[in-house]
Amino acid sequence: MSPSLANRLRIGFAIGFAVLTAMAVIGVGRFIQQRQDFEDAIARSYQVEMAARVQIAEGLDTPLARATVSSQIKRRSELQDDISDDTRDTAILVAAGLIAGLTGALLLFSGLIASLRRPLEDLVDAAGRLAGGDLGTRVEVGGLSETATLGAAFNEMAGQLEKDAAEREQLDRLKDEFVLTASHELRSPLTSVQGFAELLMLERDNLTGKQLETVEIILDNCRHLSRLLNDLLDLARSDAGRLALRREPTELAPLIDDAVRTMRAQTESANQTLTERLDPHLPSVYVEPDRVRQILINLLTNAHEYSPERASVVVSARVVGPEVEIAVTDNGPGIPESQLERIFERFTRGDAGLTQRVGGTGLGLAISKSLVELHGGTIEAVSTVGQGSSFRFRLPVADPAAAAPRPSPTAAEQS
Amino acid sequence: MAKVLVADDSETILLLMQRRLEMAGHEVETATDGQEVTDLFQRGGANGQPDVLLLDAMMPRKSGIDALRELRAAGIETPALIVSAHQDPGDADAATDVEISGYITKPIDFDRLLETIAALTAQ
Repeated sequence: MSPSLANRLRIGFAIGFAVLTAMAVIGVGRFIQQRQDFEDAIARSYQVEMAARVQIAEGLDTPLARATVSSQIKRRSELQDDISDDTRDTAILVAAGLIAGLTGALLLFSGLIASLRRPLEDLVDAAGRLAGGDLGTRVEVGGLSETATLGAAFNEMAGQLEKDAAEREQLDRLKDEFVLTASHELRSPLTSVQGFAELLMLERDNLTGKQLETVEIILDNCRHLSRLLNDLLDLARSDAGRLALRREPTELAPLIDDAVRTMRAQTESANQTLTERLDPHLPSVYVEPDRVRQILINLLTNAHEYSPERASVVVSARVVGPEVEIAVTDNGPGIPESQLERIFERFTRGDAGLTQRVGGTGLGLAISKSLVELHGGTIEAVSTVGQGSSFRFRLPVADPAAAAPRPSPTAAEQS
Repeated sequence: MAKVLVADDSETILLLMQRRLEMAGHEVETATDGQEVTDLFQRGGANGQPDVLLLDAMMPRKSGIDALRELRAAGIETPALIVSAHQDPGDADAATDVEISGYITKPIDFDRLLETIAALTAQ
């Protein structure tokens, strides 16, 4: 059992109080005794003097009687001096006792404070580590029973936090597994529905206009479901840390050309212009090409779907430090501030406004953000309502030295 | 046109594959698991040896990949396509240790599948 702070304080106060009381009692007792002795001696001196004066008054004026009177007067003066000295000594004694008692109390307190400080500092350090995410943090606090109790409570709390975090991780894993399994399991029936609808389409000549329209609707929805499954799968894999990138040094221009070609039919059907503005000296980037194409298609699809007829969509790319920034900019309706904040969250969709083209899954930007971040890049959206939106992401260049040409070490030495 | 042996544990998928491949002029034989595939080869095949194998990655009794591993061990080099619900060969049912000619993901892009079969049998 560690001693408790309260017990130590109690003992300390008791000892201090006893010492001070004893000093006071001794001091006051001594003072009263000395005063008593003094008054007795003065009274006796007066009696002797009075007897001598009576003799003188009765005519027995002897030299002895006169000497007695003067000696008693002198004695009382000496007694006065003595009592002054004694009172001063007693006062000094009491004062010394008080000072000693107070000093003792101060030492006791500073000792207690010192024994509190170390465990408290340990606790503060541990709380900092815990807040920093090190849930395995525990403290070893001894010393006073109060700090030991505090330490034990801290350890219990940290243990609970660690357990909660483990449970949450377990739940997350189950959720990821569930989404992965579900998106796989849904693929077989989707294959059948889509495949048989396609079989019908192969016999379109035998179908009535209405039947043909029905089959087209089925196929449209199959494609949508398929996209949704792919997107969910990507997100689940990314969440589970199982979205591995196959990165290689990649030329961006052909990749952007390819994405633009893929989107061309859709933008042209809406009379939208789709142009490229690429820095002619783009360095190659270190990415998985298919994933960058996926990001580009997501952003271009959004620009196309959310912008009105005859809008303009521009894909641009330029070098910014050790990265290449790619931007998809449109002059569509723009995104209000309130929506812009949450634009990269799952199933967040902008207001489609007057366009009827919006057919995405609501996951495109969330996936794009995941993919960009997996590449070690960043993505942002800027927009002004009424003027348009710009989605920009940055990817690391394959060889940073080539991106930002600096004087070579030898050249630097020579200069 | 090619002789294609299709293995899948779903009767619906088998019917779909058979119709679509037959419409493209191929001759189709079906199996419902990997065991049937290896049995067919042991018996010499009802209609002679197939030109292409189209095997589902995951089937009860014997998976397409296990069946293919046995065929390869027996020296049978028939080109094989693995069909999987997984988007990525790096996922669970990876066929990394056995030689395949391609990986087909569900939902199946039949135009691409037919092109692949044509390319494999043209060699």
